[in-house]
Amino acid sequence: MIDWPAFFVVLVATLVGASLVVTLYSLGLRLVDRPADHAGSWRRPLGIACFVACALVVLYGVYLVIPYFHQ
Amino acid sequence: MVALVIVLALFFDFTNGFHDTANAMATPIATGALKPKAAVAIAATLNLVGAFLSTEVARTISGGLIREGDGGIQITPVMIFAGLIGATLWNMVTWFLGLPSSSSHALFGGLIGAAIVGAGFGSVDFGVLVSKVVLPALLAPLTAGLVAFIAVKIAYSITKKRQRNGFKHGQVFTSSLVSLAHGTNDAQKTMGVITLTLIAGGFQATGSGPEFWVIAVCALAIALGTYTGGWRIIRTMGKGLTEIEPGQGFAAEASTAATILASSHLGFALSTTQVSSGSVIGTGIGRKGASVRWRTAGRIALGWLITIPAAAAVGAIAAFVALSGTVGVVIDTLVAVGVIVGIFVYARGNRVDARNVHDEPTVLVRPKRTRKQQKQDAKALRKDGAES
Repeated sequence: MIDWPAFFVVLVATLVGASLVVTLYSLGLRLVDRPADHAGSWRRPLGIACFVACALVVLYGVYLVIPYFHQ
Repeated sequence: MVALVIVLALFFDFTNGFHDTANAMATPIATGALKPKAAVAIAATLNLVGAFLSTEVARTISGGLIREGDGGIQITPVMIFAGLIGATLWNMVTWFLGLPSSSSHALFGGLIGAAIVGAGFGSVDFGVLVSKVVLPALLAPLTAGLVAFIAVKIAYSITKKRQRNGFKHGQVFTSSLVSLAHGTNDAQKTMGVITLTLIAGGFQATGSGPEFWVIAVCALAIALGTYTGGWRIIRTMGKGLTEIEPGQGFAAEASTAATILASSHLGFALSTTQVSSGSVIGTGIGRKGASVRWRTAGRIALGWLITIPAAAAVGAIAAFVALSGTVGVVIDTLVAVGVIVGIFVYARGNRVDARNVHDEPTVLVRPKRTRKQQKQDAKALRKDGAES
């Protein structure tokens, strides 16, 4: 009656996708924000890398949305 | 008849647009990530673009709900007309009540009602109705809610309080993604209806895709509807369900986008409206200190439950009248236009637009307040202002 395996796949994919975007963006925010006491020089580039990775995931979403790319 | 169906289909597309602005833009408007006008402008543009990007329309109007084609019944333009009246009127009513309800469900409901009157109960495949519409409607908010719950937990455990305003920038992108995804999905419904009507009327070859002008007017109608903005529904989603902080909004939009993308690409279609309502509620449960207004959530759920029967009832009545002949169609049209205009005029009484979308929705979802009560509300509001 209902396609449970398909639903399960959707659930897992959704969970992975959303968690990935949110984790990367949150890490980016945390790392880019400069702590007052110690200025770690590695933090900022890493934070920016997180934002870039997050942007890539979102771009993959755009890729999926536009049928032209994967027909 | 065909022309009438096209006009009505486009108006349905328009109501679809303003019903669904809230799905993408309620949370960025609520958190102040986007100014209300800017948000609806972005949503409208992306809907317009999205409608052109994807023009793959369904081969059957009802997606198997009604036994169409070989061995089944023939859906006539009159039945489509009646179904559209049911769907459009129900969309207007739910807009007036500020309820986010699924436009696809309204369309299915209207068509089912019309088909039952036009061709009997046997024409509707109730098995498909349960497995393709009723159960997904239950699963959609649960899935999105669960994912949003986890997402908001992640977001709030990683970031510190003062960093969370940064989520506002992210919200712009995630909500835009939801808008684009919506645009590639929803205008196609109307394109499908118009194309199939043209085919049924003998104006177009069987099995051919939508004409360019059909794509263009459908895209414009949904974009215009989106730009007009269903402010009542935006207010319910953005303010009525729970207080939304930027981090929450970001998590909700990310979950909505992920759910819609995953479901439409892995073959398990879920309703955008139900997904995004579920996400908002999920983040409300997930963030410490946020409370979910379950009364409002309950009203919304009730709205979902009665969407199909209600639209079906209107569709059935419209079909009953319309099948009596040309006079019936004229009566249907006049009544429908009358009701739509009536709702618009009546809605002006407690207008919700870009300016007061941030107000607490005290009047919303309970709009039947008398003039006297409204005056009392206003007085209470002024008093609050004076005290603070």
